[in-house]
Amino acid sequence: MHGGDGATRIDAPGADREFRVPYLTRVEGEGSLVLRVRDGEVVEARLKIFEAPRYFERLVVGRTPDEVLDIVARICGICPIAYQMSAVHAFEDLFGVVVDPSVRALRRLLYCGEWIQSHALHVYMLHAPDFLGYPSVLAMAADHRAVVEQGLAIKRVGNLLISTLGGRPIHPVSVRVGGFSRAPRRGEMDDLRRQLDTALDQAIATVRMVAGWGPPPLTHPQPLVALRHPDEYPYNDGRIVSTDGLDLAPQAWGDAFEELQVEGTNALHARTHGGEVYLLGPTARIALGADTLHPLAKAELDATGLADEIRVNIHRSIVARAVELLHAVAEARDLIDGYRPPAEPRVAFTPRPGVAAWSTEAPRGLLHHRYEVDEAGHVARAQIVPPTSQNQGAIEADLAAFAPTVLGLPHAQAQARLEQLIRAYDPCISCATHFLDLRIVDERRVAGGPR
Amino acid sequence: MSQLAPPSVRLLVCGNADRGDDGAALSAIAQLLPALPHELLERLEVRRCGHLRVEDLLDVPSGEIAVVVDAAVGITPGHVVVLPLREIVADPTAPTPRSSHELPIDQVLGLARTLRPGGLPEGSFVGIGGRRFGYGRPLSRSVRLNLGAFQAAIAAELSRITRIRVAS
Repeated sequence: MHGGDGATRIDAPGADREFRVPYLTRVEGEGSLVLRVRDGEVVEARLKIFEAPRYFERLVVGRTPDEVLDIVARICGICPIAYQMSAVHAFEDLFGVVVDPSVRALRRLLYCGEWIQSHALHVYMLHAPDFLGYPSVLAMAADHRAVVEQGLAIKRVGNLLISTLGGRPIHPVSVRVGGFSRAPRRGEMDDLRRQLDTALDQAIATVRMVAGWGPPPLTHPQPLVALRHPDEYPYNDGRIVSTDGLDLAPQAWGDAFEELQVEGTNALHARTHGGEVYLLGPTARIALGADTLHPLAKAELDATGLADEIRVNIHRSIVARAVELLHAVAEARDLIDGYRPPAEPRVAFTPRPGVAAWSTEAPRGLLHHRYEVDEAGHVARAQIVPPTSQNQGAIEADLAAFAPTVLGLPHAQAQARLEQLIRAYDPCISCATHFLDLRIVDERRVAGGPR
Repeated sequence: MSQLAPPSVRLLVCGNADRGDDGAALSAIAQLLPALPHELLERLEVRRCGHLRVEDLLDVPSGEIAVVVDAAVGITPGHVVVLPLREIVADPTAPTPRSSHELPIDQVLGLARTLRPGGLPEGSFVGIGGRRFGYGRPLSRSVRLNLGAFQAAIAAELSRITRIRVAS
């Protein structure tokens, strides 16, 4: 893998100006970003997350696996299923649980629901205003009502999938070790199927729409990491692969990566053991697994002609996300068509001590869980590595690469571009945040005092 | 002389019971509902929202009144407020429901006003100022001591809308 030292020469005029953005809107979570410029060079681009530590890894200690599933779902209101899925697969892998194929299909369907609602939220409500030139989706809705309505309509289908399968739309409760607490009846799927038909057309229109939106120019390839499965687009299963040739079992995240505490942020960063940053999420999944997309999604991706640009310009992540939105809708339709309720929604299991670890693909990227289970079947130690914390280094590296292209712009325009770059990652700082403060500090000016 | 039937109310109960004061609305409603008169309960449709989403407001049928109940930030912990929904969307400094997560509350209400046929539903926000929202924490003392006032404010609002008397 290759990394960067975060230093980038700035030749743009106005590079010694000081920027201060009160807060970045349309991201999930609380944090700040500091960009330091010294002698025309970006010497530090740091995303600081100051949301208070939430101690979930400590909260699950002493709990049974099924209790853990309910607790980790509370980490995020947008992607609770991802947390449940990484945990449930980890425990089932350790306990040797083999689930019914229809349970496996239901879990993919549930994950489709989460991707649909999360991607629709980000594409339409959070990211689209950047491309259409509005400060918010509310302002955008005044002129592009049909666009916003389409986004909400798609998102509703995701909500409905989650509530039908998960028991409720937020923090679902049905996922259990060995299966589900309850499997939906065939008839419960009929309304979903009808709505997915409509959503499919809307998702295709989404890809075509966002592919036509011109992004700010950026060519900055980063190492990409995602799950890859030979037969299906990755949700719950696959091997951890990268553009640099990595190939690991989903349990073995720690063989290549590590978390580290970085000063000034409450979220752990992640790096390769060699200290290199890497990028997760739709961009990485498309780059590493486009051949496994649903045929409808693959055809639309090919038609955009943007597969290569997606890899090097994070602003094009909106296209990758839209393609995945289409994939999730199309696959959900297929899964419902093939659905047969399992004879038993849940198989019995016997806990045993050991290390339970697994990785799945949350909407924002690879989510790794690792639990040490004691003789009583309770969690003794836990490690949860969310995608946004892994992406922090890539965000900072992209910011350093992108900043030179905007520092010569008028202040408001440069500010908007920097905010847009951060939003392109769909950071879920919150599962907490409301505030992202951006400061660009010119150290030469600081040393010499104000002018 | 005939009298119009009192309107129905969509009660949108926001929050999470396991996040400290974020569970204030759920606690209040759980205790309040059994005490409400039958004829008022018949007018109520209670929806649990987690966090308030645009879709929750778009789903409110024409002629139905929305009452959003949630813990709030921006006001003194334990303090109870009742505000028309229209005032919140017009005033960015108004108390903010804590549970709104996907979009800021003014955006949620603003989108509902723009996209819903007939605009933002008539209705109100009944909130209680929260102090702590961490996972696994109980209600703060400020909220616990004022939960009765919170329930009374919700009951009064429901009574005002439906014109059905609620015993205090």
